[in-house]
Amino acid sequence: MEFGTIEREIYIEADPEVVFEVVSSPDHLEQWWPDEARYDPVPGATGDIVFGERDAGGTVVQFAVVDAEPPRTFSFRWTQPADQPAVEGNSLLVTFELTPSRGGTLLKMTESGFREMGWEAALLEQQYLEHATGWDFYLPRLAPYVASLEVRP
Amino acid sequence: MSAAVAERIDDDLWSAIGDPTRRRMLDLLLVDGDGTATTLSGQLPVTRQAVAKQLGVLDRVGLVRATPAGREKRYRVDDAQLARAVAQLSAVGAAWDARLQRIKRIAEAIQRSQDG
Repeated sequence: MEFGTIEREIYIEADPEVVFEVVSSPDHLEQWWPDEARYDPVPGATGDIVFGERDAGGTVVQFAVVDAEPPRTFSFRWTQPADQPAVEGNSLLVTFELTPSRGGTLLKMTESGFREMGWEAALLEQQYLEHATGWDFYLPRLAPYVASLEVRP
Repeated sequence: MSAAVAERIDDDLWSAIGDPTRRRMLDLLLVDGDGTATTLSGQLPVTRQAVAKQLGVLDRVGLVRATPAGREKRYRVDDAQLARAVAQLSAVGAAWDARLQRIKRIAEAIQRSQDG
């Protein structure tokens, strides 16, 4: 086990172009992670993601796009202090790598920076775990979302 | 223990386990059951002095426990503290597992709607 870096792979029965949209666009991000996401999915763009409601005690977390090469790579840094540019040592780096495979996409996710940032950052991640587990919270919002996709021309 | 102190210890625990040489030392101690700076340095590309210093770091965060062994100290891994460090990282990994499952479901739903 490599401490300080999390690596995951998942096979998805969808084209890399579709998967790239889902992992990179702020509208999609809101469907699988934060309640709100504001950024341009282009390299160098900065913005934020919000857990809870922005104006009602929610947690606003800085977000900076590092790389975006459709449909192969999307990476971003998050958790950097609001008044600092995101660099190694003050943020967590999340990288999505997409590889065409068996008619679908192999999605590899790496999150690194825990060793440099210390344990506080991992605790920050952990606190999102409560509402990130289980479909009790996400199913009600996902079902209408998928339905809306299906009526699209 | 105050929350601030607990957090400080967690930070130290994290950085102690983050170093590749120290992780290798933990691996060796787990395999061998115990070890001294001398026995460990014989299995690593670093000096006995460097190993002794790293063992001190691991000892301070409670990842190893020392008992006197002649002129040296004999070290064993503290299983409970190691389990605690591993569990903390596992929780973060579990959060990503859940996110990736959602990414998969969303992408596959979009693909089906496009194909259909």
